[in-house]
Amino acid sequence: MASGLGGERKVSASLSRSVRGTTPRLQDLAATPESPRTPLLRSTSSLFGSPGGSFRTEDEYVVLELGSRFVRGGFPGESAPRCTLPFGPDEQRRVGDYRQWDPEHGQTRRKRKRGQDWGQEYELYRMDLTDLDLGLVEDRFERTMREAYSKYFLLDQKPRRILLALPPRMPHALMSTMLEVLFSSFQAPSITLLSSPVLSTVGAGLRSALVVDIGWAETTVTGVCEYREVQEGRTIRAGKMLSEEMARLLNTALEDELDVGAPKPEVSFEEADEVITRVGWCKSKPKSNRNTLYFPARTSPILEEFEDAVESPEPSITIPFPKNDPPIDLVIPFAQLAKPAETALFAPDTALNEFDDNELPLHHLIYRVLLALPMDVRRFCMSRIVITGGVSNMPGLKARILAELDALVQQRGWDPVRSYGSASARHEALLRQKRESEELRREEAGDKVSESLDSDNSPAPLSAGLQETEIDQIDIKLSHLAIRNGPPPTCSVGGTIRGVDSLGAWAGASLVAQLRIKGIVEIEREKFLQYGLQGASREKEISVVPQRQSMGPGVGRGAGERASWTLGVWA
Amino acid sequence: MAQPYPYTYYSCDCYDAKTTAGAAKRASAQLQAEDEDERTFDPRNPRSNFSLYPLEHLLYCEDCQQIRCPRCVIEEVLNWFCPSCLFEVPSSLVKSDGNRCTRNCYNCPICTSPMTVSSLDDPTNPSESGGPWILACPYCHWSTAETGIEFEKHTGITQQLSKVANGGKPIPTPKEREKERERRKELENRKSRDILSGSEDSPTQDQRRGDASPNLDDIYLNLAAFYKTQLVAQAPSNLFSPHDINFSSPSSYSRIMNLYSSTTSKKQRQKKAAPMREAALELEGLMIHDPSSDAAAIERIKKEGWGSTLSPAQKRAQPNPNIRFDTELRPVASLLMTKRGKRCRSCRHILSKPESKITSTRYKIKLLALQHIPRLSLRALTPTPPPGAPAATPFDYNALRSGIPAHFILHVSNPIFDPIRVTLATSSTTPGKVASRVTILCPQFEVGANTDVWDDALSSSLTPVKRASMLGPDGMPQIEAGKIWDRGRNWTSVVIEVVPGFLKDPLKKEDEELGEDEDVLEIPVFVRLEFESDVSAEDRGLGDSLGKKGERERREEAFWTVIGVGKIAPM
Repeated sequence: MASGLGGERKVSASLSRSVRGTTPRLQDLAATPESPRTPLLRSTSSLFGSPGGSFRTEDEYVVLELGSRFVRGGFPGESAPRCTLPFGPDEQRRVGDYRQWDPEHGQTRRKRKRGQDWGQEYELYRMDLTDLDLGLVEDRFERTMREAYSKYFLLDQKPRRILLALPPRMPHALMSTMLEVLFSSFQAPSITLLSSPVLSTVGAGLRSALVVDIGWAETTVTGVCEYREVQEGRTIRAGKMLSEEMARLLNTALEDELDVGAPKPEVSFEEADEVITRVGWCKSKPKSNRNTLYFPARTSPILEEFEDAVESPEPSITIPFPKNDPPIDLVIPFAQLAKPAETALFAPDTALNEFDDNELPLHHLIYRVLLALPMDVRRFCMSRIVITGGVSNMPGLKARILAELDALVQQRGWDPVRSYGSASARHEALLRQKRESEELRREEAGDKVSESLDSDNSPAPLSAGLQETEIDQIDIKLSHLAIRNGPPPTCSVGGTIRGVDSLGAWAGASLVAQLRIKGIVEIEREKFLQYGLQGASREKEISVVPQRQSMGPGVGRGAGERASWTLGVWA
Repeated sequence: MAQPYPYTYYSCDCYDAKTTAGAAKRASAQLQAEDEDERTFDPRNPRSNFSLYPLEHLLYCEDCQQIRCPRCVIEEVLNWFCPSCLFEVPSSLVKSDGNRCTRNCYNCPICTSPMTVSSLDDPTNPSESGGPWILACPYCHWSTAETGIEFEKHTGITQQLSKVANGGKPIPTPKEREKERERRKELENRKSRDILSGSEDSPTQDQRRGDASPNLDDIYLNLAAFYKTQLVAQAPSNLFSPHDINFSSPSSYSRIMNLYSSTTSKKQRQKKAAPMREAALELEGLMIHDPSSDAAAIERIKKEGWGSTLSPAQKRAQPNPNIRFDTELRPVASLLMTKRGKRCRSCRHILSKPESKITSTRYKIKLLALQHIPRLSLRALTPTPPPGAPAATPFDYNALRSGIPAHFILHVSNPIFDPIRVTLATSSTTPGKVASRVTILCPQFEVGANTDVWDDALSSSLTPVKRASMLGPDGMPQIEAGKIWDRGRNWTSVVIEVVPGFLKDPLKKEDEELGEDEDVLEIPVFVRLEFESDVSAEDRGLGDSLGKKGERERREEAFWTVIGVGKIAPM
C-alpha cells in the first residue's frame, strides 16, 4: 500500500497537517506589546476576507463517533461522550408504543426474527449493502441523532459543525445516507470526517501506531504512520462472532441445567451480550498444551497464575436468566466464560491453513499487517499497538493479544516466507551460516572497526545494522543536545512488542476538535446538498500542502471555503 | 402493542417527500421511486415504524397544509430546566456546566429513580450540622455510602461530589491538576537533564505505581495539555495558517513584522520548527498497556461474581461508561430538559411554542393535527342485547377468531368547519404474513362540518339514520353495503368487514413460528378528503390574481392511516 517513497511524502504532508490548525499562539501575544486591533468598518476586498470572517472558524463542534452498534456524541474538550446510544429493537418502535416499559415485556425473551442474522436488529448498518435497506438506516440514524440532540446535547439554535469519526472504509451509499441526515435534519454547516484509527492514535498520544479495532462485525488492524493509514487488514473475528460463541456456550450450559422435557433454550442476543460485557474474560496467556514450543519466560508472574493454579473448588459464576422459561440461575464454571473469546478471536484449535482470508485469528492478522509494513514503519508500529473497540474492554484480552503476537514474532521473526518447502534445509543452513559469520564478524569488528569499513574488496561486507557504531564526539554532543531539546528517547522506542492504551476514537476526535485542527475531509453543507458525494474531487491530497504554500499571507481564503473538497481515505 | 386495541396511527409521508432526497439517493432509490405513488402502505415494513404516529403526536402546518411529524419540524430550545427541581438553567450555565442539573438532583445509578439526601446522623448522639449526609435511593436502597461517599452538607451536593472520588479520596480541581502536572514535568525535565543519557521511564513507572491508576479525565487533560504545548511549539508555520488571516489576529501583526524585519530573524524562526513529537510520558498522556489492572479485574469477577458487575444500560448512564464494577458507580445527575418551540421544516412557520415559564404547561401557539385531520377510530360492532337481557361480554380485541368474519364500525369525525367528503381505500387483504380480508362497506361518504353544537340542534338537515327498524333476525342490525352506518353532526361511521387470517397456513406443513407482532391485525387505510374552504388570508395575499375575497377554494388532503384492530387468537 505504501512504498517507501509514498510513505515519506505522506509523512511530510501529515506533519504540516498536524501543525496547520493552531490557535492563536500565546507567544505571539507576548511578542507584541499591545495587540493590534482592526479598525472597525474598514472596507476590505473580498480577497482579504472580512475582518469578521474568522468568527466562522470559532464555530463550535459536535463530536460524533459512528459505530455499527453505537453512536457516541458529545462536545470537544470533554473526555467522555455525553451519550452513547445503542441501536436496538426498542429504538425501532413506533411512537406511542411503550411496551418496553411493560414489566411483562421485560420478562419475556425476544426471539430472533426469521431470516435475520445474529444481532442484526442491534446494528445500524453493515458493510454489505446488498440486503441493507438504506432508508431504514436513515430512519434509525435520524431518530437516534434526534434523541442525542434533544435529550443530551440541548443545544441552542446556533448551527454546529460536526466532527464525525468513521471507520476508514465505508460504502459511499452508506456514508451519503449518514451525511444527508446530519446535513438536512440537524442543519450542520459542515462535517469533518476523520478516520477512527487515526483518532485512536491521537487518543493514545501517538503519531504512529498499529490500531487494532475489535469492533462488532469485524476487526480491523490498521497501521498508522504519522497520522496516515498505511496498511490495513481485517477479519470477521470480532464482537459478533464472540457473542454468537457465547450464546452457544450458554445454550449448552442451560440445556444441561434444565429438565429433559423443557423446551430447548435459545439465549437471546441481549442475554449473551450482557454476559459478555459483565463476566466475559479472556485468558491472558495462551494454553501451554498447544504446539507452542515458543513461549518465552517473559510474562509477569501474575499471568502464570491462571494457567497453573488449579483451584479447588473450581470457581464458578452464577448467572441469572430471568427471561428463561422457567427463570433459572445458571451456575457456570468461571473458566468456561473465557472459552468464547478464545475460540472466536484466536481459534487455537484450527490450523492456520484452514482459515479463509477474512477469518484469520487476531494475532495472525496483526502479524501479517506488521509484516506487510515497510521495515521502518513496522519498527514504530510494533511497539505502539493500540487495541480499541468494544470487545477490547474484555479483561485479559489485550494482554493475550500482545502475548500471542510476541510469541509469533519470536517464533517466526520477520520473514515473509513461511515455508521454504524443499529448500528449507538449505535455507536453515544459510541462516545458520549467516548468523555464525555475523557473530564472527562482530567479534572481529569489536577489535578493528575502521578496517572492516575500508576493506571494500571483502566479499560480503557486514550489514550496516550489525556494525558497531563509531563513537563520534560530535555525535555524543548532538545526542546530548537532542536529549535536552529534542524529543525524549521514549518517543523513538521501537522494535519490541508493546501495547499502548488509547482513550479511544471519540476522545481522540474530541481532542482534535478542541485543538481546532482541520481535517482533510471537510464537507460543506451547500456543496453536499447540491452534488452529494459526487461533488468530491478525485484527488486525495488536495487540501493541505499546496494550498497553504500557494496562499501567501494575503490571500484570505479561509479553510472553510475550500474550492473543492475531497473524500480522502474514503474516496 | 402497548397501545390498547383498537388504535389508529397516522402516517407522515415526510420521508419520501423530502426535498433533499434527490441528492444522496439519486442512484439507489431511482428504481423504487417510480412506483412510489402506486405502492400501498405496508405497516409491516420496518420503515413504517418511523413514519407512523398517533394523531396526538402530530402537528399541522397551515401554510403547507400538511401534517408535520417530529421528523419534519425544526426544534429550537426556548429554555432549559431540571425536571426534578424545576429550576430554570440559563443557557450560559448549560454551556459551561453541561447538560445536567447542578443542584441536588441525582438519579440512582442502579435503578434510575431519583435519589434523596438523607442524614447518617446518629439520633442518640446528634452532631450539630445534622450530617454526615448521603444520597440514597428510596426504591432500591442503593446509597453513596456503598461507594464510600459522604457529604458534609445537605446542599450543594454537586460541588461536594465533584471533589470526592469513590472511596472518599479527594479529587483535585483542574487547577490543582494543572499545577501538579507542571510540577511533575519540571521534575522530569530536571531528571532527564541530570542523567542526559539512557533516561528510562522507570521513575514515571514508579510514580504510577504509587498513585492509583489515573482516570480517564486525567489522561485526557494530560493529552490535551501535551498537544497544546506541541502545537504552540510549531511557531513559524502558524504565521501562514489559513485561519488566522484576519486583521484583528495578533499573528497577522507578527507576520507583517516578520516580512519587514531582517532576514536573519526569519531564518532563526524557521529553524525552530521541529516536527511534533508523540507523547513520551504519562504526564503527556501516554499510557503503556499494563496487564495488571486486567488481571485484577478478572480476579474480582471470579471472586465477586455477577452481582458486582454492571449491566450495559447502567454503564451507559454513567458519566464514564468504561467502568465495570459497582464500586465505581457514581450517582447520575439528572439530565436537564428543554422547552422547545417547533417550526415547520419547509416554511419555517412556528407550529408550537410553549409558554416560557417552566411550571406552565400551556402553549402560546399550538397547531395540532387533531384540529385539522379527521379522527378515525374503530370499534367492534356488537349486537345490542335486547332490553332486559344481561349485557353481552365485551368484545375481546386480543382474540380475533381466524376465518370468522367480524364487523367493525369505523368512526370518522371531522374537526374542521367545512363539510368534508371522505374516500377510504384499502387493499383487500392486509399485507404481512397473516393475510386477512378487509372490506370497507361504504368507502365514500360525507362528514358534516364541525359547526357550533347549537347549529346541530337548530338545523334539521341531517336526519339520523333510522336504525331500530332495520334490525336483522339475529338481533344484529342489518348491514347494507354502500350505505353509511350512522351519522351525527360532525361524524359519520361506516362498517368494515374483516375476516382475520390464519396464523398458520394450513397448506404448509412446516411449523414456522410467528415473529413479534405478526399476529396483530393491522389495516392500512388510505384516506382522501375533499372539501371547500375559505381561502386563507395569506394565500390571498400571495396570489391576488387567483381569487377574490370571500372566494372558496377546493382542497384535498390525502394520507395513510393504519388501524390496529386486534390480535388474532391462535387456533
